[in-house]
Amino acid sequence: MLAPNRVILVLGAIALLLFCSLDFGTIQPNRIVEGTPYGALDALEWGGFALVTLLLAVTLVAAVLALPGRYWAILVSVVLLLMALPWLFSGFLDDQLGERYPYGRGGFAAGFWSLLFLLALMLVEGLRQVGASAWLRLTAGVLVLLSWWRALEVEALAGLSLVMEFQTRPDQFQQALLDHLALTLGAVMVSLLLAVPLVLVMIRRVRWQRPVFALVSFLQTVPSLALFGLLIAPLSVLSANFPLLQQLGIRGIGWAPAMIALVAYSLLPMVRNLFVALTEVPADLLEAAEGMGMNRRQVFLRVQLPLALPVVIEGVRMTTIQATGLTAVAALVGAGGFGTFIFQGLGQAAMDLVLLGALPTVALALAADTLFTALARLSARLNGATAQPSLIYE
Amino acid sequence: MIELTNASRLFGEVTAVDRISLTVETGETCVLVGSSGCGKSTTLRMINRLLPHSAGDIRVDGQDIREVDLQQLRLNMGYAIQGTGLFPHWTVARNIALVPQLQGWERARVEARVTELLDMLGLSPTEYADKYPAQLSGGQAQRVGVARALAADPNILLMDEPFGALDAITRENLQNEMLRIQRRLRKTTVFVTHDIDEALRLADRIAVMDQGRILQHDTPDAILRQPASAFVESLVGSQDRGLKLAALQSVAEVMQRHPQPRQAVPEKVSVGAQDSLRQALSVMLWQQLSELPVVDDQGLELGVLTRERLWRETA
Repeated sequence: MLAPNRVILVLGAIALLLFCSLDFGTIQPNRIVEGTPYGALDALEWGGFALVTLLLAVTLVAAVLALPGRYWAILVSVVLLLMALPWLFSGFLDDQLGERYPYGRGGFAAGFWSLLFLLALMLVEGLRQVGASAWLRLTAGVLVLLSWWRALEVEALAGLSLVMEFQTRPDQFQQALLDHLALTLGAVMVSLLLAVPLVLVMIRRVRWQRPVFALVSFLQTVPSLALFGLLIAPLSVLSANFPLLQQLGIRGIGWAPAMIALVAYSLLPMVRNLFVALTEVPADLLEAAEGMGMNRRQVFLRVQLPLALPVVIEGVRMTTIQATGLTAVAALVGAGGFGTFIFQGLGQAAMDLVLLGALPTVALALAADTLFTALARLSARLNGATAQPSLIYE
Repeated sequence: MIELTNASRLFGEVTAVDRISLTVETGETCVLVGSSGCGKSTTLRMINRLLPHSAGDIRVDGQDIREVDLQQLRLNMGYAIQGTGLFPHWTVARNIALVPQLQGWERARVEARVTELLDMLGLSPTEYADKYPAQLSGGQAQRVGVARALAADPNILLMDEPFGALDAITRENLQNEMLRIQRRLRKTTVFVTHDIDEALRLADRIAVMDQGRILQHDTPDAILRQPASAFVESLVGSQDRGLKLAALQSVAEVMQRHPQPRQAVPEKVSVGAQDSLRQALSVMLWQQLSELPVVDDQGLELGVLTRERLWRETA
């Protein structure tokens, strides 16, 4: 006898409650005027409202009824809902904007966001319960994304203010994406390149361990805004006195202070994980390798590094996610990236512009998370059946 | 041949091995036995220079080990340790192939050698070659560990408590395996253990160590009969020394042989020719018999073992 799934039950109940009680969307006559909120029933009318409640009810019933195959019912409902959301919202925009507000725009409200978030959690739980393969996870994700993509492509969401903010600055958006990627990945690469020799020295010479850990921990404690700001003055002076630096684009503001600060922050997770990864390889294995006749280099490259790799990748994953978020702050010192939109939006009190910066930042972090988790799994599998599953991020 | 002359090893101020001299003849199995911290493992590691000796002289086949290239020295010594030391990210085959590969053998030769070794240790190559160490039982993994040590057919075998982590039955199986392999290959072996029974069983000669020194270096028989000090005596045990002695000899060595082997009486209690006198004694005690027929694998009765004879031999 299968027990009811409490997770899905609770998530589904909250989703249903919030969907019915919170505002689903807002309509603004123009960019500046405050919007009018619409509840779910008003926004979606009976048809859409019934569809959402019905599918949520299916998940609730399936969560309580202990029938075989119930998770498939839950998965199908959740994926269908996630796919339907943009189209339901499109209907809302068409109904409310239309002729009435030629310059009007719509926005997602709390009810929509809650529904989106809770459905995503239910999807994760459902996939976990059916023991989904990587392919099934990918299929579910691709189906949802394709539906959203299609909605954007046929301009079904053209009236969404987030889309309108994007439409007015597609080139800036692309530039921000490139800047953001370059800064984040650059910082991760540089910190990895710095961490490797540091950690190798720390392993060979024990007395280096404390000062190095103290230094990278200290760097982590400096508030990020302060560090970005503090670097402006010294870099300006350097740049003013050395024309060569100026030619390289190193100035008090721009990518140089951002990169330095990002690398400083990335060092702690990178150094710590690399150190733990390499020192956690059992000493008797290394000694066996040496005793069998491997030289130092062979021991490191053939035994120590491969066995440490899953944990090393885990460190790169954490560092990348952290750097993705911090790069958004780096826009303050003129480094570009999605933070530009966030700070512009804050300045203009245009929350949808803030979202235009924030959502892609979150998406990049999630993408990095997925990619490196998959890599860590792969490397653990290549390490044979012994790879410690506890170390692999679930 | 391995010769240690006044070899010492210091860790800071602490002397782990104190001016020991020990000769292991070619083809001989020397077991270093003693309690933990007595310096037996340190001694073993000095031989393959995992721990360089602080003073004295260590020679392998007449050559000072400090003058031999480190990698070459180690590649010519099979090395097996407690808990196998198998690389978890490599298959069984790749683990065994390690030293041959480091020596630059051709691929086909390496593969043939891996198959041969798996067969020799009673692991089916088709079944086990592509498994990972975590998929093996403790005994199987340690067999692979032994196979890896033997892979490049080294002259010398160094074994550091290889069966220490195994249960009693698996350990005994592997000890038998080890004896069988040694009868065939006759490697010069240094074997470290804290288990005196294992030492008595496997050794041609035993070196009893305590506090970094060798207290007695002699054959198992002599160690049992004439322990050189109170420490050695307590190690071999005073109560069951007779049984240990009986365990050293096989029934075949002591029995009264029939002029002609004859057909054994099927239902009659008997002992095998390769069984130890200890087992024969146990059967006599249990069955209240004063003599036992001795049979071989084919079911032929080769002779009889009488209680008087057994008494005399283990005296």
